[in-house]
Amino acid sequence: MWKQVKKIGLVAAAGVMVVPLAGGVSTAKAASLAKNQTFKMMVPTELTSMDNSKTTDLYAATIQNNTGEGLYRLTSKNKAVPALAKSVVKSTNNGLQYTFHLRHSKWSNGTPVTAQDFVYSWQRTVTPKTSSQYAFLFEGIKNAAAIADGKKQPSELGVKAIDDYTLQVTMEKPVPYFDLLMANPTFFPQNKKVVEKYGSEYGTTSAKQVYNGPFKLTKWNGTNLKWTLVKNKDYWDKRKVKLNKIQYQTVKDPSTALNLYQSGDLDDVTLSSEMAKQSANNKDKVIRKMASTFYLEYNQKKIPAFKNKKIRQAISLTINRQKLAKDVLSDGSTAAKGYVPEGLANDPKNGKDFSAEAQGAAEKAAVAYNMKKAKKLWAEGKKEVGIKKLNVELMGDDKDSSKKILEYMQNSMEKLPGLKVTNQNLPFKTRLSRSVDGKFDMVMTAWNGDFGDPITFMDLLTSTNSYNNGKWRNASYDKNVSASKNANAANPDARWQNLLDAENTLMTEQGVAPVYQQNEFHLVNSKVKGIVYHQTGASYDYKTTYIAK
Amino acid sequence: MRKYILKRVLYMLLTLFLIATITFFLMKLLPGTPYQNQDKMSASQIHMMNVQYGLNKPVWQQYLIYIFGMVHGNLGISFQFSSQPVSYLIATRIGPSLQLGIQAMIVGSILGILLGAIAAIRKNTWADTLATLLAILGMSIPNFVFAVLLQYILGFKLKLFPIALWDNFSSSILPTIALAMMPLAETARFMRTEMIDVLNSDYIMLARAKGLTQAGVVWHHALRNSLIPVITLAGPLAVNLMTGSMVVENIFSIPGIGEQFVKSITTNDYPTIMGVTMVYSLMLVVVILIVDILYGIIDPRIRLSGSEVNA
Repeated sequence: MWKQVKKIGLVAAAGVMVVPLAGGVSTAKAASLAKNQTFKMMVPTELTSMDNSKTTDLYAATIQNNTGEGLYRLTSKNKAVPALAKSVVKSTNNGLQYTFHLRHSKWSNGTPVTAQDFVYSWQRTVTPKTSSQYAFLFEGIKNAAAIADGKKQPSELGVKAIDDYTLQVTMEKPVPYFDLLMANPTFFPQNKKVVEKYGSEYGTTSAKQVYNGPFKLTKWNGTNLKWTLVKNKDYWDKRKVKLNKIQYQTVKDPSTALNLYQSGDLDDVTLSSEMAKQSANNKDKVIRKMASTFYLEYNQKKIPAFKNKKIRQAISLTINRQKLAKDVLSDGSTAAKGYVPEGLANDPKNGKDFSAEAQGAAEKAAVAYNMKKAKKLWAEGKKEVGIKKLNVELMGDDKDSSKKILEYMQNSMEKLPGLKVTNQNLPFKTRLSRSVDGKFDMVMTAWNGDFGDPITFMDLLTSTNSYNNGKWRNASYDKNVSASKNANAANPDARWQNLLDAENTLMTEQGVAPVYQQNEFHLVNSKVKGIVYHQTGASYDYKTTYIAK
Repeated sequence: MRKYILKRVLYMLLTLFLIATITFFLMKLLPGTPYQNQDKMSASQIHMMNVQYGLNKPVWQQYLIYIFGMVHGNLGISFQFSSQPVSYLIATRIGPSLQLGIQAMIVGSILGILLGAIAAIRKNTWADTLATLLAILGMSIPNFVFAVLLQYILGFKLKLFPIALWDNFSSSILPTIALAMMPLAETARFMRTEMIDVLNSDYIMLARAKGLTQAGVVWHHALRNSLIPVITLAGPLAVNLMTGSMVVENIFSIPGIGEQFVKSITTNDYPTIMGVTMVYSLMLVVVILIVDILYGIIDPRIRLSGSEVNA
C-alpha cells in the first residue's frame, strides 16, 4: 500500500515536472507577479519585415512567433506541443500524410483562422513570384520543389483544406523533422483577405497585417528602431499570457546596451566581445547557445595535400579551441565539440543532446589541442604526400573578431614545420562567392542551422551537396546521411544512429575542422521568468513569460 | 543672378546624372547577391530570384530601367527591408539625421566663430591658448569618442540627459554636442587665422585711425571679411556631418539614414545604395550652390561673371 502511494506520488511529481516542459508553461501564481507586466527587450538589428513568406532572420521570426500561431509550439527541449492543432498528430501512410484538426480561433480582425489560411500561406511562400528565400524549407512536401522551380502550379502543393478546420498535408517523402517545421513561423497561416488588401505592402508596418498569436505588434512604421508587442485579447489561449507589453528597442552599440541595462531601461541585452568580457562575472549573465558552428574547410580540389587525412588532422590539432573561445572571442562562444552544435537537437529516445551523445573518445581527440601529436601526424602526412613544405592562404571575414581568430589560427598552424599560412580577410559576400567558386585554399566559414535536427548541418557535407565547398568525400558519411533521410526516415532511433555515425566519421576524418560554436552573451533581469529559448526557428517564446515581484 | 543660378542648376543635374551612372556601374561590380539567405540558397534558387527581380538582365538594361524609374520618382524596393520602397525608407530615416546635422552645424559654427574671433582679438593670451587647445582637441578626437564619453558621464552617471534612444528634443542634445565638435574646431581654427590677417590689414588700421571703437571695428569690418573662408568650409563640413554621423547615430540608437547607407553596401542592397547616394549627392550639390550664393551676399566682389555687377 505504502509502496503504491509512493509510486503514485512519484508519478504525480513527474507529471508536475512534465507539464511545464510539455506545455512550455511555467504557471506563475498570481501572487508572485509584479504589478507592471512590461518586458523591455533589446535587439541588435531592425525588424525588416513581418511577412513570414519573406523573412529569414531570427529576429523577425521571434516577433512572428509571438504575434502569430501555427499548428504547434515548441518547448525549450524542442518538443512539439499543440497550438492551433488540437493535438500533435502522427503521420499516416508511411510518413506521407498528416491530418490536422484545428481548434477554433480568431484573427485580430475578428475573422476565424481556418485551414484555408494555412493553404494560402504555404502556397504563397513557394510561389516563385513571392521570392521567398526560405521556400526550400518546404522541400519534402509534395510538389514544393517543382513549384519553386516554376515547373508546377502553386495549387498543386501537397496541402489541402478538407473543411474549415481540417488540414491535410501530403508529402513526397517522409520528413523526420516535420513537427519542428510546423512550429516555425515560415509555416504560420496568413489571412488571404488581408494579404490581398495590402498587396506588396503586406507586413511592412504593424497596421498592415493581422495577428493570431499571444501578442499584437504595434508602433512599428516599417523602418523605426522601436516597436511594442501588446497582449492579444483575441488569442485562444490568452489565459496563459502574463505579459501586457514587450517593448522592443534596437540598440546597435554594445556599450550603449550595457549602460541602458545598468540604468534599468532594458531587461535583456545582447553584448559583444569587449562589453561581454567586462560583464563576465555579472550575476545576470545568460549564455544563449546558438545553432552556429564556425569551421575550417580545406579545399581538396585545389590543394591535393588536403586529401591526406593526417595533414587535415594535424592542422586541426594545432588549434587550441578552448583558448580561442575564452581569450580571443570571450563573448560566450565555446570550443566546438563537433560539427553539430551543442543544444541543437535531442535524441528522440532519451532526450539526450546530439552533441553530447556524439562525444566518443575519437571525437574528443579530433578537436583536442595536441601539438605533439599534430607534429607527428604532420611529418607522416608530408611523407605520404611527398612534400617538404606547404604554402596556403587562410580566408575569412573582415570583421574585427574574424581577423583576430584568423591571426590566432595562423599562429597556431605555423608551428607545424614547413607550413606557411597567409591570411586573407574579405567582406562576407566576397568570401561567400569565392567559397562557392572554389577560389580558396582554406576558409573559416560558418553554418547556422534552420531547424532543430542534426540533418540541417550534416546534409551540407555530402559529396554532391553544393555547399560542400572543400569537396571532401566519404562514402560511409554519404551512406549514413542518405539512410537517415530515406531508408530510416520513418524510424527515429535507427535514423538517429545514422546521424551519430556520420558525425563520428566526419570528426575522425576531419573532413572539415569545427572550431567554435558561436553563442550570444546576454544580461537578463533576474525578475524576468519563463522565457522559452530555441536555437533555431524563432529564438524566443514569450507566451508564458512573466515579471516576478 | 537668375541666369547664373539657372546655369548652376543645369550643371547640378548633369553632376547628379554622372554620379548615378558611375555609382550604378561600380555597384554592379560588388560580388554576391542582395539576398540575405544567399549562403543557403542553391544556384538555381538564386537564378529564380534574379529572374523575379530582373537581376538576370544585362547591366546596361538594368541601368536604363533604373534611370527611367528614378526620373519618374521610383527608387525601387529595398532588399534589406523586404517590400519597403526605398523612397519610404529614406523619408522615414532622414529626418533625425537632418535634424542632428543642422543642429550640429548651427551650434558648431556659431560657437566656432565666437571662439575663433575671441582667440584672434585676444591673441597670445590665455583665452587664445584655451581656444586653440579646444580646437585641437575637437579636431583630433573622433566624434564617437566624444559620444561615448558624453553618454557615460552626462547620461549614465549624472543622469542629466537620456543615455540614448530617440524620444524628444532632450535625446538630441548629446549627439548634437558630439557631432558639433568637429565643425566647431574647424571653424574656430579658420576664423582665428583669418581674423588675425584681417585685423592687421590696412583698412582696419584706417578704421582705427578714424577713431572707431574696438567693438565697432570687429563688428563692422573684421567679422564680415573673415567669414568668407569660413563659409567655404561650410560645404565640406556639412557633407562630413551627413556621412560621418553614422557611428554617433549608432551609439545613441538614433533611427537615422547614415548606417543604412553603409549597411546597404555590405548587403548589396542595390536600390538603397542608389537611393541614398542620390539623396546625399543632391544635398551636397545644393549645399555647394548655397555656399556660392552666400559668397556673393557677403562679398560683392565675388558676384560672378554672367550677373550684373553693382559696382
